[in-house]
Amino acid sequence: MSALTDLIPAHRPSLAQSLFAGVVVPSLCAIGVGTLMQFGVGPVLGDYWTSVGVQVGIAVMLAVSLNIVNGFTGQFSIGHAGFFAIGAYIGAGVSYYGALLIWNDASAMAHGAPLVWNNSKSWLFGAGEWLMIGGAILGACVAAAFGYIVGLPSLRLRGDYLAIVTLGFGEIVRVLLQQTRPQVFDGAELREMSAGELVIPPLGGATGFSSIPKYANLWWVWLFVAVVVFFAYRVKVSSTGRALLSIREDEIAARAMGVNITKYKVRAFVLAAALAGIAGALYAHSGNVLQPRDAGFQRSFDCIIFVVLGGLGSISGAALAAVALSIMTEALRGPEPILENWIALLILTAVISIVAAILRAVGNRGWRITLLMAVTPLSILLLGLASKFFTDATGINLADYRMVVYALLLIVVMLVRPNGLFGLTEIWEYFGPERAKKPPTTPPTASQAAAAAPTEGSRP
Amino acid sequence: MSEFLLDVREIGISFGGLKACQQLTLQVPARGLHGLIGPNGAGKTTAFNLITGVYQTQTGSVSLDGVHVHHLAPHQIAKAGMSRTFQNIRLFGDLSVLDNVRLACHLRGTHTLIGTLFRTPMFVAQERAIRERALKMLDVFDLADLADEQARSLPYGNQRRLEICRALATEPKVLLLDEPAAGMNPSEKVALAATIRQIRDRFNLAILLIEHDMGLVMDICEHITVLDHGTPIAAGAPREVQNNPKVQEAYLGEPGAVL
Repeated sequence: MSALTDLIPAHRPSLAQSLFAGVVVPSLCAIGVGTLMQFGVGPVLGDYWTSVGVQVGIAVMLAVSLNIVNGFTGQFSIGHAGFFAIGAYIGAGVSYYGALLIWNDASAMAHGAPLVWNNSKSWLFGAGEWLMIGGAILGACVAAAFGYIVGLPSLRLRGDYLAIVTLGFGEIVRVLLQQTRPQVFDGAELREMSAGELVIPPLGGATGFSSIPKYANLWWVWLFVAVVVFFAYRVKVSSTGRALLSIREDEIAARAMGVNITKYKVRAFVLAAALAGIAGALYAHSGNVLQPRDAGFQRSFDCIIFVVLGGLGSISGAALAAVALSIMTEALRGPEPILENWIALLILTAVISIVAAILRAVGNRGWRITLLMAVTPLSILLLGLASKFFTDATGINLADYRMVVYALLLIVVMLVRPNGLFGLTEIWEYFGPERAKKPPTTPPTASQAAAAAPTEGSRP
Repeated sequence: MSEFLLDVREIGISFGGLKACQQLTLQVPARGLHGLIGPNGAGKTTAFNLITGVYQTQTGSVSLDGVHVHHLAPHQIAKAGMSRTFQNIRLFGDLSVLDNVRLACHLRGTHTLIGTLFRTPMFVAQERAIRERALKMLDVFDLADLADEQARSLPYGNQRRLEICRALATEPKVLLLDEPAAGMNPSEKVALAATIRQIRDRFNLAILLIEHDMGLVMDICEHITVLDHGTPIAAGAPREVQNNPKVQEAYLGEPGAVL
């Protein structure tokens, strides 16, 4: 049998081929997703649900990035919000103070792009938005550096002990952010500050960092959601991803098979931290006041819930859980937003039902999960109606009890599906050709088995 | 430079007062088939763990192909050319059969994060090569049809074979098998003996084998080391070992009994 290294040269694609498949196509897809969300979905949603859509995108990024550590590698980290906050504050600092130094004015109206701000004179993207992207990249790098630092102790610790270390990290970030100087609102004042004073940066301290230009619209956020999902998926189906999964499955066997578990644990932390940093930078530009508690354990736990509920190791599962739970916390505020959108929910039910019917006709096993998805919008609508009648009849506002409903739902899911809704499986794998669970009566030939397996070329 | 491919000299480890393995010396030549036997609790698996670096040996040395490896971490020893299976099968249960073998091909390549994220030509070529090689390996072990199955869902015998297949995918010079016949019936054991010989010939490697089943060991091993209470009590060709009174005492409790 020939050695692996001898096999490699024959498989080498040309630079143009790999650039096209590796960079151009996914970039176009990401831009397509952003454009669809901004111009297709955004106008339908209206202002309120558009801002929810931005937060949903950020939640998806957090869930998918945490999945790399908690899901693939099986290291239980509960300090993810720490990386998120580092990215957020650095992103905010770069674009706010950058704008203050360059233009003496940090408002988004002046330096945003026509994509969002019709009164801007710039073409496609405003100069301020490039500052945001620069800040996001810097935030990702710094978060990655912290990920490296947090990843190192994880080599010795496992289980509960690692969880405590990561929790401690999040709290340290939170407390350090509380100790930062008050925000500076004037460019001249900022220029006069000495280097010594800037050792503790003016990030607003306990009162928070406000007036950050609001550049993060659906377009930017969902473009980056696509990028993050692409990255996570590529890791999952690569040698690196298998190494991470092997650590989760059995460390001793992984080491015996030549996996440097030290290197890969740190790698998982670094990548997850960088992606969380990007999510943070976008969050900072989504119209929120940044506060130290953004690094607190509340947000970390939200991320963990997304991952555990969606399936440890399932990118699409974690993303779906992030979408569903983020929308649900909003929808549980009251039945009005649900009832206002009853037409959309009915259309969604109809569309998914038709897909299920087609899949059933084709004889695919994906129809069952599709039907389940079709029932979901309908049941949301029915729940909305029920809660409206209940409130009208009794005067009790169910919205006050929404966190109870949320918690109950989590308990039920954990009892019914302890591995999360999707486990390690991606949602689209349910729609692939049926995989024989037991040895088939007529065993398929080797070539059929090879054809049934996903090929390298079919991956994005 | 030693004439032996695997040269283990006087390794040992104590856990507190328990001398789990002491003064173990064994040498396996290229293409050798060496057996390590002993009663339950004799320290055979501990010896494996010392050789493969799961435990750090407190005395002595281990060298593989003339290079000292006893101070290295398990993954470095694996890269140096030593691979093993486990007594209680340790597959990556949630991963597919193919992915178990692909993971084992991993250590012969270089994997960068940038390459993974942006799919550089080198990365793509390597992943394709890994896939091709893994499928070939599965074919050798008649597991190609099951490539997409979850490793956990395989029947026991296939899991054993998959573990050997996975170990071989790391391209080892020495293969360590920890009780490969455990839980097999007599006819499966006969088939296993043939498989082990074939592996040695086809992949051109040395094999060190722990086994309880005397028939199997005596049948295939060219050289045997016997452990009892953590110390080697005999070594030599199967016939010599069989007639050694110390060995008979360790197994049967009284000298002179027929093994």
